[in-house]
Amino acid sequence: MTADAWDILLTFTRLGLVSFGGANLPEIERVLVEHKGWITPQLLANGFALGQVMPGPNMLAMTHYGFAAGGWWGALAATAGFYGPTALLSAAAMLAWQRLSRWRWLPPLRSALLPFGAGVLLAGALVLARSSLHSWPAALMAVAAFVLLQRTRVNPAVVVLGAAGLGAVLGL
Amino acid sequence: MPAPALSPTAPDHPAQPQRPPTPLGLLRLFVGVALVGIGGGLPAHTRRALAARGWLSDAAFAEAFTLAQLTPGPNAVNLAAMIGAHLCGPRGAALAVVGILTPGLIAMLAASVVTLGLPGGLPPTLQSALRGAACAALGVMLTAAVPVVKVALGVRGGAVLAGATFVALAALKLDLLPVLAVVVAAGLTLNRPRSGE
Repeated sequence: MTADAWDILLTFTRLGLVSFGGANLPEIERVLVEHKGWITPQLLANGFALGQVMPGPNMLAMTHYGFAAGGWWGALAATAGFYGPTALLSAAAMLAWQRLSRWRWLPPLRSALLPFGAGVLLAGALVLARSSLHSWPAALMAVAAFVLLQRTRVNPAVVVLGAAGLGAVLGL
Repeated sequence: MPAPALSPTAPDHPAQPQRPPTPLGLLRLFVGVALVGIGGGLPAHTRRALAARGWLSDAAFAEAFTLAQLTPGPNAVNLAAMIGAHLCGPRGAALAVVGILTPGLIAMLAASVVTLGLPGGLPPTLQSALRGAACAALGVMLTAAVPVVKVALGVRGGAVLAGATFVALAALKLDLLPVLAVVVAAGLTLNRPRSGE
């Protein structure tokens, strides 16, 4: 299956613009898995896991999804679409910041966006849990990773790589 | 040419740049940030790299960081765009973003070719390894969610609005934009500026 690069660019642009505080996994699943059928739930989880061990932003998973949808051009279109417009918007917002910082509606806007961002993050965790946790060992590994990361200062990439090794050994 | 100061309180930072940043210098800085940022924590690495070069005060960084959370998109990349724009204008922003994305883009393309290009799909061992990695990735995601949820619960109406967002997206699978509109409108109403404040 090879999707049109232009379609990929527009789709990922929209996904970038509706992401707050990171990636918007519920929307990514709805659009890429359910509507477009470009990736499977398994590939969604695989790409997210790969993103954790890549240098740079974790949501390079988008490059993986784009590659699955449309090969090399799909990967580039997905990356450019997801990161380009939001970066442009950020640069513009920075240049307007001084006027914005005195705006009396800015603190209310922040207070209104925060709970939304938290809800999106938790819904994203559920999406990931549904596509990753198919067995008790898997659930135990997720809990162990969470506890380890909360209690120690170990690098997340080390935890993810360790879990990959454990997964291979256990034959998850 | 130096960019205008981020805030009126900027003169109190003593760190003089050893050499003023150039767009190419920003490109190098953000490639470095991406390379040490395996596993996340990019904003912290960005702050450390900028402080080491004396290019940005902590106060200016904090402002940029807050703003990066308010704009849509991945925070770390937004932050790179903002700091690039602040220090070197549009060219600085463009090269900062290219810098933070390039190492991972190359690595992810290689991983995609290997994992998706295999005839007959992934070998079982590799798929098992990825399943294990995905479980840990879920743990990583929950760790990142904890501080956001804590702050959100401290906001007026935060628990109800965060819960409503979760239910609307995860259980009811509603469209994101209407949910965003309703939740933000409710949040703005609850937190509106009071007269006399």
